[in-house]
Amino acid sequence: MRLLTSPLRRMLSGLLNCCEREGGRPSKCCSLNPHHLLPRQNFSAKPTAAELVRYWHGVFEANRIPEAQESSEYIISYVLGAKTIHSLSASSLSNPLTSEQQQQVQWLSMKRLQRMPVQYVLGEWDFRELTLKMRPPVFIPRPETEDLVSLVLQKSQRSGSPAVNAGHRCPTAIPHPVILEIGCGSGAIALSLLNKLPQSRVIAVDKEEAAVNLTCENAQRLQLQDRIRILHYDACSGSWEQLLPWGPVDTIVSNPPYVFHEDMAHLAEEILSYEDLDALDGGNDGMRVIKKILALAPFILKDLGVFLEVDPRHPEMVENWLQSHPELSLSISATHKDFCGKPRFLHIQKHKAGDSSNKKDFACPSVHLP
Amino acid sequence: MLKHFLFQVFVKKKFCFHFFMNASSLFHSTINTLALRPWLWRQQKFLSPQLAIPLFPVAGKKNSCDLLALNETDLEEQFVRGDGPGGQATNKTSNCVVLKHIPSGIVVKCHQTRSVELNRQRAREILQQKVDLFYKGENSDIFKEKRTAEKKKQEKKRRAKENLEKKMHIKEMQESDSK
Repeated sequence: MRLLTSPLRRMLSGLLNCCEREGGRPSKCCSLNPHHLLPRQNFSAKPTAAELVRYWHGVFEANRIPEAQESSEYIISYVLGAKTIHSLSASSLSNPLTSEQQQQVQWLSMKRLQRMPVQYVLGEWDFRELTLKMRPPVFIPRPETEDLVSLVLQKSQRSGSPAVNAGHRCPTAIPHPVILEIGCGSGAIALSLLNKLPQSRVIAVDKEEAAVNLTCENAQRLQLQDRIRILHYDACSGSWEQLLPWGPVDTIVSNPPYVFHEDMAHLAEEILSYEDLDALDGGNDGMRVIKKILALAPFILKDLGVFLEVDPRHPEMVENWLQSHPELSLSISATHKDFCGKPRFLHIQKHKAGDSSNKKDFACPSVHLP
Repeated sequence: MLKHFLFQVFVKKKFCFHFFMNASSLFHSTINTLALRPWLWRQQKFLSPQLAIPLFPVAGKKNSCDLLALNETDLEEQFVRGDGPGGQATNKTSNCVVLKHIPSGIVVKCHQTRSVELNRQRAREILQQKVDLFYKGENSDIFKEKRTAEKKKQEKKRRAKENLEKKMHIKEMQESDSK
């Protein structure tokens, strides 16, 4: 049984002595145990990418790191300049890595061993066609939210069709839509919409300065800064007049914090230790921010409506809440499922006064509901 | 050759994975055994990526192809998302998409990118090519392009060999002259 190589041992000692983790909660101590690292039994002097993937997969598994295989693959791909292991050629996988590359793999893998999310380890992640910078504690975009963008695009781009029922609204495609995103985080939703709707403008707001800064950075990297206004704004306490630099908005889109407070404690260590918990905690019923968004909608919104990502329990809860607040004149015009079949997205629109039809599963005829 | 792979396809028509021996290197598909994870088969009904991209390629090297269009109602998607609640409450990086064409039984798997949406689009492109090949066989543009590419490669090899032989002959001549 061969021992760990000495440079690795030195690095481990350095990490163990370090109490302050990058971006993590300062109170949480480093839990890395060097004895859980596997000996490099089958390593050649110059390991290949494939060998390193196997090695770190083993290390992550031994240390009970979730998604051990995926974590190992993403880290090594990143060091080799690729997005995924599956986009690397067979020859790339069998080439030996330089010593700098090996060191980089080790450094990144040590962060993963501290349960840092892969997206923060790499400092970047992809959302639809965009590669965005990621930085703790700004919320990491989830894959479900890619479908939220698809939904907004679908409604923004579709040409009009005649209304079928009273209160039914199928607006024509808006030539220069103004979109408000509440809780922009890294800018994933806002920048995806700007990218796909070249005539659109976006107002992106977040109550956390770190998120405002990161969205700004990502907008500049993607050369989209000219069509976006990024504001430091708290939807729960700010005045809605600040949201009108371009007048009333065509659409509001949001992935607001919607986790039920009682569920917060059950989240994975990756989330609890590194992400901004305010971006997740929606209060007792998970609707604290949702309600604020819907309450300000009538003051600033034109016709396209509000698109929200929510918890699967929310569609009925939101429906009931809207019915108990008739002064808002809002109702759910469609509920859509995510790719796992869970009700995840709400499309909420203004309805005409006196329309009492049940709009729970109602949608424009050309929109296909699951 | 065509009969051979069509035979394979018909024998394995019901739900299973197909491996197109001649075209696999082009299409990045792999034989896959189902891991014991909570796979979710889902009839693709909502927000199909065809809204984002057209179903026949319009850019790139295959833009002259005339491929059979895929009907979204004939497709079933499968995602690895685990047992968790999903959405904000989960942060998983596995975003592999497995896409099945129900009428032919062809299945493709795609995890080429870090985006689920892009993997879904890419899976549809790959599946469209495979389905076209399946139904059209040698008449498929995919098949013809592959054959053209192979011919070009062989021609290139033949020319390189000829050039090498010529050079060696000239060298021999020069050596015999100098003696």
